Amino acid sequence: MENTIKVERAILSLTQGDLAKKIGVSRQTINSIEANRYVPSTVLALKLSDVFGKPVNNFFKLSSDD
Amino acid sequence: MKKQNFIECERKGLEKLINFRLPHYFYTIGIAVLGTAIVMMFIRAFVLEGDQEVLKVMLQRGLLIGMLLMSIAKDKDEDEMVVKLRMQSYTYAFVAGVVYALIMPFVDYGVSNVVNSGGEEFHDIGDFQVLLFMLMIQLLCFHTLKRVR
Repeated sequence: MENTIKVERAILSLTQGDLAKKIGVSRQTINSIEANRYVPSTVLALKLSDVFGKPVNNFFKLSSDD
Repeated sequence: MKKQNFIECERKGLEKLINFRLPHYFYTIGIAVLGTAIVMMFIRAFVLEGDQEVLKVMLQRGLLIGMLLMSIAKDKDEDEMVVKLRMQSYTYAFVAGVVYALIMPFVDYGVSNVVNSGGEEFHDIGDFQVLLFMLMIQLLCFHTLKRVR
């Protein structure tokens, strides 16, 4: 799975720490999600969707190997 | 109780058990218990004299309890990724523990017979050795996984 969280975060001028605080996870978790090392749960994806004000599939995309 | 209710009740109980974690300060308590047990082990080995088999067993239990507290205490920033890494580390520890219990008796036997001809007899490893190894692997894997996440 690929994502554009880094871009969405930049649009809102949020640091990884700010976003982490908003959705209640650690900064390292945001870093891992952005680097595609960790696929978040549906709950976390919906929290991100809330922060960005966009549907989940706008910033999460299935990759060819999924 | 209806069958559906019974299943629901069982599921909730299981979820509670799976999600059970001690508060973070138990990690510090675990370190203190572990440290005390290690220091006491040295004192028992080098200072105290005579037969202290009971003390030895108590200190071994203390060591395991300390590591167990460290293992099941919540992380400072516990989130779903940390929970996943913890579960992964338990899996590694379980597999490593089984392999260790299977192989180590043969390694012990082989080494002791290579070093001294007609060395030790073949014997199984004890529960303390296996549990200590599993807890060590779990804590090591968990911290390594957290560091490289």
